[in-house]
Amino acid sequence: MPLDALSDPTYLRSIIRLSLTVSLVAVLVSTVLSLPIAFAVGFADFRGKRFVTAVINTGMGFPSVVVGLLVWYVLSNQGPLGTLNLIYTPEAMIISQCVLAAPVITGVALSAVESVDDAVRDAAYGVGGTRADVALITLKEARYGVITGILAGFGRAISEVGSVLIVGGNIAYADGTSKTRTLTTAIQFEVRKGEFEVALILGAVLLVLVLLVNGIVLRLGGR
Amino acid sequence: MNLAFETVSYGVDETSILTDISLSVGAGEVVTVIGPSGAGKTTLLRLAALFERPTAGTVRCDGTDPWALSRDERLTLRRRIGMVFQRASLFETSVARNVDVGRRVRRPWAERLRGFGRRLVGRLRRDGPTVDDRALEALELVGLEDAWDRDAGSLSGGEAQRVSFARALAAEPDLLVLDEPTSDLDPRNTAILERAIDRARERGHGVLLATHDMHQAERISDRVAFLLEGELVETGPATRVFENPRDERTARFVRGDLLYDENELLA
Repeated sequence: MPLDALSDPTYLRSIIRLSLTVSLVAVLVSTVLSLPIAFAVGFADFRGKRFVTAVINTGMGFPSVVVGLLVWYVLSNQGPLGTLNLIYTPEAMIISQCVLAAPVITGVALSAVESVDDAVRDAAYGVGGTRADVALITLKEARYGVITGILAGFGRAISEVGSVLIVGGNIAYADGTSKTRTLTTAIQFEVRKGEFEVALILGAVLLVLVLLVNGIVLRLGGR
Repeated sequence: MNLAFETVSYGVDETSILTDISLSVGAGEVVTVIGPSGAGKTTLLRLAALFERPTAGTVRCDGTDPWALSRDERLTLRRRIGMVFQRASLFETSVARNVDVGRRVRRPWAERLRGFGRRLVGRLRRDGPTVDDRALEALELVGLEDAWDRDAGSLSGGEAQRVSFARALAAEPDLLVLDEPTSDLDPRNTAILERAIDRARERGHGVLLATHDMHQAERISDRVAFLLEGELVETGPATRVFENPRDERTARFVRGDLLYDENELLA
């Protein structure tokens, strides 16, 4: 029976839980790191700003397999952070997804912040705002762009296969629950087994999850 | 608040924009700066609103040099000044929240965070919008009290500028600095805004206004200052400056001559 893999809901639940946890944590960490960078670069005028912007934009197109390989090297036993024993753990997957999502969030947020008219910043200052108020009001004006960046980062993270496969290993426990198996790596695994129906169902679940997260975030963002 | 320019000069790099400006604005007084484009009116107003620091001379607020104070002390002074720009530059939110922003930024962070949390919960529960009395009062002054729950983006240019004026006024500044607020407005919106300026003056607000509109300057000013190429040519009571200017250049500008450079037009 081709759908045997899904007969046990624990299996599916554990994959969904891990996928969401890893991607949401990765996006949260990336957002916390990315927004201050986007603001610092967006607000400041300094030599080399175009170069920094170009580096950020290049990061948006990092090949995920290469990122996975680099993170694997850093976290592997021979790597600089090998003593932390993070390889083939969800934490390693979070790190690799952060590396992939952060440039996307930074790049889109930077573009959104730069598109806010100087007149809006003047208006925020003119009503008695401090620098922090001006930054917050600018963030609010750029919010749809920033939210788009965060959602794009989430999309990049949750749809990731190559790097999470390398650093996570697509491992399931003996009882069938997931250790480092996400929806995407499970789909890849099922396809390799020839279980296309299961892969399709997992794909549909992934789509629904992405839609749900997008809907919730956009609702909170006021759109 | 008494704002006084004491031989103020301002320049960027090697370019001088304002030279030796001496001018004052007191409570309940409308002082209008007139002058052709590029004369330095906006720069003068930005110095008055403490956006920029003079390169020479002093801008005093009630006798104090704000730039000799700490940033926090200067912020306290800056918050006694409200500025309205040539472009309305409203924030992407409701009219009520635009008008209330000046008072919100003055609240302690803990209170602001609680307000943010309440708004987030309210959004999820689909609660209706609310308006503060003070914001409504400021909107009444510009005749837009019924528009408080509208989205700022849905306003016409004239309405947006009136909301921008209400936004400055709602923070209860002592001094209003208005940079050509009616230059893009139709006669009706201009009249409403002029009436609002007049009422602000009656309430004791000082007003420093820049305008191209000679008739407006004559209508609403107590005193007029004529600025040309960064220098104050003449300052005096509005009626005197318009009816009996002492400087030939002022006379020509008031007549409309200096508005046009014939050589430039022919070029």
